[in-house]
Amino acid sequence: MGSNVLHTRRKWRKILFRLGFLLPALLIYTFILLIPIVDSMRLSFYTGSGLIPNTFIGFGNYIKIFTQEVFRERVWGAFTNNIKFFLIVTLLQNILGFFLAMAVTRPIKGAKFMRKISFLPTTLSVLVVGFLFRQILNPIWGILGNFPWLGNEHTALPTLAVAVSWQFIGESILLYTVGIDGIPIELLEAARIDGANWFQEMRHIILPAIMPIVGIVTLLIYVGDFTQFDIVYAMTTTSGNPRFKTDLFGSLFYRTAFSTPARGGWGMGMGAAVSTIMFVVVAFGVGIWFFVFQRKRDA
Amino acid sequence: MKLAKRVVVLSLVAVLAMGLVFAGGDKEKGKVRIVTTSWRTEDVERMNRINALYMEKHPNVIIDFQPTADEEYDANTTASLETGIGADIIYLRSYDEGLPYYEAGHLVDLTDIIPNLDKFPSAAVGAWSKDGVTYGLPSAGVTHGVYYNKAIFKKHGLTPPKTWAEFIKLNETLLAKGEVPIAQGALDDWTLYEVAFSGLGANFYGGEAARQALLAGKAKLTDPNFVKAFEAVYSLKKYLPRGYEALDYSAMLQMFASGQAAMFIGGSWEISTFEDMGADPANVGWFAPPVEKAGDRLQYCFHVDIGVGVNKNSKHLDEAIEYLKWVAGAEYAQALMNELPGFFSYTPADVKINDPLAAAMFEVIADSDPTVRTVWEKLSAQAPSGNELMGIALPGMMVDKYTPKEAAEFVQSQLETWYPPFRK
Repeated sequence: MGSNVLHTRRKWRKILFRLGFLLPALLIYTFILLIPIVDSMRLSFYTGSGLIPNTFIGFGNYIKIFTQEVFRERVWGAFTNNIKFFLIVTLLQNILGFFLAMAVTRPIKGAKFMRKISFLPTTLSVLVVGFLFRQILNPIWGILGNFPWLGNEHTALPTLAVAVSWQFIGESILLYTVGIDGIPIELLEAARIDGANWFQEMRHIILPAIMPIVGIVTLLIYVGDFTQFDIVYAMTTTSGNPRFKTDLFGSLFYRTAFSTPARGGWGMGMGAAVSTIMFVVVAFGVGIWFFVFQRKRDA
Repeated sequence: MKLAKRVVVLSLVAVLAMGLVFAGGDKEKGKVRIVTTSWRTEDVERMNRINALYMEKHPNVIIDFQPTADEEYDANTTASLETGIGADIIYLRSYDEGLPYYEAGHLVDLTDIIPNLDKFPSAAVGAWSKDGVTYGLPSAGVTHGVYYNKAIFKKHGLTPPKTWAEFIKLNETLLAKGEVPIAQGALDDWTLYEVAFSGLGANFYGGEAARQALLAGKAKLTDPNFVKAFEAVYSLKKYLPRGYEALDYSAMLQMFASGQAAMFIGGSWEISTFEDMGADPANVGWFAPPVEKAGDRLQYCFHVDIGVGVNKNSKHLDEAIEYLKWVAGAEYAQALMNELPGFFSYTPADVKINDPLAAAMFEVIADSDPTVRTVWEKLSAQAPSGNELMGIALPGMMVDKYTPKEAAEFVQSQLETWYPPFRK
């Protein structure tokens, strides 16, 4: 009996001890992230003008978004654009990033230099990257201005995706090189002695070793793209020109929540509803990732 | 290596020293700082010169002009006012864009504060008033028309057109001579509506009378006169530069300023923009929107642009109001029109317009029926607003997503979802 009490007491002390370490982070997280997110969800049930809408309308904003054509079209448009954007960026960054990482990990002259320099664009501001691309694509003086890349409904979004991929490919290269570097050299040498060609080497040794990295890169891209705002702002304005074809959740939210109606604003309550939908989509995606990748690892 | 280290250390010391010098702020001791906002970041130098006149006579006051980028202005102003850190002097856009600040209780009632308010043009006062209360000083209006490159016109023996037929013929000639007739793009959503449609279209839909009928719900955008305006804008598609679909506002400006296009459908606020971009002022000409048929009276878009309000919660309310009274007076009006030609002051005072382009724009007012942008008042009070819808319909029309008639139908049908007079 006595030892049991002692046991529980010790257990409690252990929990409190751990909690003590977690508490500061938990407090900061709660006050600057959790509470604002919950409060913004609360705002999505209100309507009114100004920064803090004060008339409760229940699901009114959501009903408006999902039933009235002009609103539904915008939200659905931003959602599908976001999916397309995510797919293009994921393909480019994963595939190109992987092959570039393969290239810079080969013992070629200059590979080390390339490895360092590949990270350079990532350190630039998105606004600078957007501006650079706009100059390159400018129809009057840009070197690639012979086609209206940003004005054409079919090419505008892929163009933005290329700009973002160009900037952040350094991150994928970095993560992939870490993965490739982590493969024991003996393993590769043994494979070569056994007569494995480059393709087999990649298929049976390198790819399985870096699968977890594919997951991490994709997750980073997913969260980054569904909250992406800067590149749209820098390249095609918050209206997502041409005609909302580059409108992503980030620009949609900014416009609807903060602009006056005359400039495409829908009021803060509607804006909060848009951001809540955004939150659900991102949370859903991250949930899937945990389910697929984390469970695999535990198994 | 030693040298490099020394250079780094020295520059660090220099930076620190500079920080100390600038952080000193001894100069400002005992002075009152009045912060004014605006959405025109390009005007900083010119506004500082205007405000210097006031500060000379009021040595205890510093007028600090702190504009925010146009796209961020509304978000910034709303957030700063609601959190109690707003500027003392607030620039207000007209009608329903400025009204929410008053309705949220952020603005001082200026009705009895502005001297001679009854002498200001009543249409301008109305743009910043509600139920007899004026919350914004009508400061400046802007007009819309067409800029042209005098050298290009001269080279091909062309003169500014009076009628639409002459305008189209002129465009054809320019096109045949291998020039780019009009520097206009379809990427930014506002230029086609605010300037091309409201400016050039007004002559087709019938200006102010038609706009009033629209506001009253007695006319629709799908009526033949409005559709004609959509068609007129659409007919210019042929004369736009290659790649106009992807041409944004700043590239349009650059193109005209650098002489790569013969004309620019623009607003009076661009006089100083072109000048700042290096266009020779003597080479820039301007003509009023061509009328539909010879003998028609010009329907002239003279838009109410800038109103000035005072933040009710300003810490220096008295000084802010004192400054506003000066803004309402003749000295400010003259300085504004000198520094920012193309912004026409509403102040009832005898001011001279020294800039020849601005003078030309102002002169035609007397022989015209002035109006404002088509769906700006009332029709843009709610989402989806007329302004936003026009910004979707017109660029869409220019890339053949809509016919002119479909563009009109799109805007009209969306407005009918909420605008009360259309719902009766």
